[in-house]
Amino acid sequence: MRQALNDLRYRLRALFRRDAMDHELEAELQFHLDKEADKHVRAGLSPDEARRRARASFGAREGVKDDTRDVRGLVALETLVQDVRYAARGLTARPVFTAGIVLTLGLGLGANAAMFGIVDRLLFRTPDDLRDPSTLHRVYTSFLADGEKRIDRNLAFPVYLDFARASRSIEAFSAFQTLQTAVGDGAETEQMRVTVASANYFPLFNARPIHGRFFNASDDSLPVGSPVVVLGYGFWRARYGGDPGVLGKTLRVGQTVRTIIGVAPEGFVGLNDQGVPAAWIPITSYAHERRGTAYPANYGWSWLELVARRRPGVSVAAAEADLTLAFHESWRREAVSQPGIGTPDSARAAVTLGPLQFNRGPQAGQDAQVARWILGVSLIVLLIACANVANLLLSRAVSRQREIAVRLALGVSRARLIRQLLTESFILAVAGGVTGLAFANWGSAALRSFYFTAEESVAVASDVRTLLFAGVATIVVALLTGLVPALQAGRGDLAGALKVGSREGTYRRGRARVVLLVFQATLSVVLLVGAGLFVRSLRNVQGFRLGYDADRIVFAGANLRGTRLNPGDLNALNERMARAAREIPGVTHVSLAESVPFYSNESRGLWVPGVDSIRRRGRFVLQAGGPDYFATLGTRILRGRAFDESDRAGSPRVVVVSDGMARALWENADPIGKCIRISADTAPCTTVIGVAEEVRLRTLTDAREYTYYLPATQYGSPVSPQLFVRIQGEAADFVDPIRRRLQREMPGSAFAAAMPLDRLIDPARRSWKFGATMFVAFGGLALVLAAIGLYSLIAYDVAQRTQELGVRLALGASMGDVVKLVMSSGVRLVVVGLVLGGGLALWGSRWMESMMFQQSPRDPVVFGIVTLVLLAVALLASFGPALRAARVDPNTALRSD
Amino acid sequence: MPPIDLPQGTLDLLILKALSLQPMHGWAISERLHQVSRTTLQVPQGSLYPALHRLERRGLIKAEWGASDNNRKAKYYELTRAGRKQLAAETDAWEQLTTAVALVLDQA
Repeated sequence: MRQALNDLRYRLRALFRRDAMDHELEAELQFHLDKEADKHVRAGLSPDEARRRARASFGAREGVKDDTRDVRGLVALETLVQDVRYAARGLTARPVFTAGIVLTLGLGLGANAAMFGIVDRLLFRTPDDLRDPSTLHRVYTSFLADGEKRIDRNLAFPVYLDFARASRSIEAFSAFQTLQTAVGDGAETEQMRVTVASANYFPLFNARPIHGRFFNASDDSLPVGSPVVVLGYGFWRARYGGDPGVLGKTLRVGQTVRTIIGVAPEGFVGLNDQGVPAAWIPITSYAHERRGTAYPANYGWSWLELVARRRPGVSVAAAEADLTLAFHESWRREAVSQPGIGTPDSARAAVTLGPLQFNRGPQAGQDAQVARWILGVSLIVLLIACANVANLLLSRAVSRQREIAVRLALGVSRARLIRQLLTESFILAVAGGVTGLAFANWGSAALRSFYFTAEESVAVASDVRTLLFAGVATIVVALLTGLVPALQAGRGDLAGALKVGSREGTYRRGRARVVLLVFQATLSVVLLVGAGLFVRSLRNVQGFRLGYDADRIVFAGANLRGTRLNPGDLNALNERMARAAREIPGVTHVSLAESVPFYSNESRGLWVPGVDSIRRRGRFVLQAGGPDYFATLGTRILRGRAFDESDRAGSPRVVVVSDGMARALWENADPIGKCIRISADTAPCTTVIGVAEEVRLRTLTDAREYTYYLPATQYGSPVSPQLFVRIQGEAADFVDPIRRRLQREMPGSAFAAAMPLDRLIDPARRSWKFGATMFVAFGGLALVLAAIGLYSLIAYDVAQRTQELGVRLALGASMGDVVKLVMSSGVRLVVVGLVLGGGLALWGSRWMESMMFQQSPRDPVVFGIVTLVLLAVALLASFGPALRAARVDPNTALRSD
Repeated sequence: MPPIDLPQGTLDLLILKALSLQPMHGWAISERLHQVSRTTLQVPQGSLYPALHRLERRGLIKAEWGASDNNRKAKYYELTRAGRKQLAAETDAWEQLTTAVALVLDQA
């Protein structure tokens, strides 16, 4: 106890009276040396010699002082403060150097923080308020369809019931689906995201409603459910101004007028990938509204997503086996009414429990894949930034060699020296990290809008996980950038450095610096190749002929909200809508349409005489359109004719098939005049009258997808009330006029909606757009960093070689010779980088392949351009220093130092 | 015989022993160890001061500035009560150790 007290007293004195203690120590050691010297004088030595002996037997004085201070115990803290002060002094003395480094690291760290935030959300994070996410899984079913394995996450309502009844390993299933539906009445009606959920959906979360209650099992009861709705926080604020008195009021969602029973807390998203919904409604009530009382036995309507919570102690594999059995049972029940689906064994029906995050599951989108790549790219940028900074610090360490040697000679330990240099790189990294977070916070808004809606974009600086990531990255950066220079400095040859001036022999371009530079150049090449490939892909995507002029078309439709129209009235409405749209100035053509690209597709069974196994030959989408359909869409007729006014309800049945479909069915035979039967093999012949160019309706990449066209008049029933409107000018400018004009034709509570057709297709293109943007941005950043690195290396070389170059000039070398000499040394490094980077890019190309659009990842044009760009940058970066070298005045050069 | 280096940890014991006679300053301690050991023990003078400060921190010795022989100020160290106890304990331990080692060396 006493000892501890004493210890504390000593330490406190050491902390607060540091200077006094240092002073005392100095006096004590001086006294010792004097006494020792006196002893030698008494023994007959001269005073000088005596002092020398005394010092020799004592050892390095600074070292002894350091060791003694170490004993004080506060040393770690004390030297840290000292080191920080020392480093800060050094850094503020060279503001440009420091700012350059902080900016470089800031860009690298900022890019990473921003990308991490996105990838984390897409792939790793579960909603904050989710209970025990580790036992929760998304349910996927798999089975064979047409000989191909299909994975599905959408299940029919009766399958959900079958699972819940039969499975023993699962504590609870929650079913949900988020869809776009009409919310509100009259002029306030808007198409919004609404989540349809089972009653046990909310108990998955810890969230509590801020007003009222969530719906429960009695609201979500078979078969009709209660007409209730829970509002999303954002919607409640926007539509009701945050009025707590909304409870009990009514709101029309879909077709049904519902009573508001609760308001969800702010930020409550549920299990959505698409953002915060405006409202939640019970499954039973929604399903009944859509399909009447038969839906609980409708196995054909697969629309629900399912999550399952495992019982404690049940492994994933056991739960999957259990669920697979339940699925088989369910399958057999379905087969009673649908014998065509076969047995569960022949279809290899199975259930997989996947990660909760959709983008980590078997159906992950290309967006997630691209985001993952870009996180990788941003890490490479960070590595390049580190290499650059390490290089700069190294060059500084080299120019401080003599200072360092002097301090070593004075007895400062190498460990201490390394600690000091590391302190410096830590300060730089932390400053870079803070700058980076500022960049990320400010710059990531645009980035995130690619992936998330406004409500769920959390600012980078307030996100704990992102901050944690940034912190770790900062520490790694500090070590990466500080270690090489520190080790290099700690290794230096003491006597050599002290003896020579910079003239003799110190021209050594550190090997570490060369390696770092080649490393930078290599990575830059890889990134630039990636950028080039993505840009070419994007150009291919944008230039890709969809088979229609999406940019000139507005898609408009009526949402009937349950207003029941008989076929005659529906046809009349369609007619009125088309006529109204045609009257709008700037509109050139209008056509009805049953299928809408990247939105909804109609398909029916097909029978073609002489052709079997049709379904294996591709996927056939049915389109029904008005007489102006092909003129409206801009889809070209390649052979035969399009349908027109003369193809009426009673006239001979006609069909136009797409080019690919013609070849898939009849190979090289002339398709005109061939017969296809639609919906049933007993249906009358529909005669092919024309061949249209191929169009893309569902994906940009699936080439086995074909379309055939019927006149709307021969479709059999009225087509859906939706129009394509071809306009002259900007599609976006027509959206509002068209919507307002069509609204006047709407019956009852129906409402009109319109949007540019491009808007529907953009999501399919955006992964390339995003990839191209990010690769170009990061590739450009890498190039700039590499250029700075090269410039500083060569400039430093030239400064070191001033005398040598002076001698060369004095001996008659021309300025051109010197320029060539200097520049070739820079270009050589870049060429090495080009070879290595090119090799790396070729080697990695096989993983890029799947993300390219009609683009070889080994495109010689891209590789060629990257080579030229890099060489140009090398020449540019080394030209300045080379010119300076050539202007060296031999006289000054030879006289200096 | 050339001077031998001190085994690890024995320097503290020797310092305590030297100080048990009278308060001394650092140089005097180093001289005394050198002489008493008949110049066999070479105390590295550099390592003397960290050891002194360590002992001071542990409260085994205390330091005071006083006048030295030719009237210069010097830092004098003296044993505390804890230091005397420690010295006794360590001396016992040391004797037991050397006896034991000697026995083994004789027998083997």
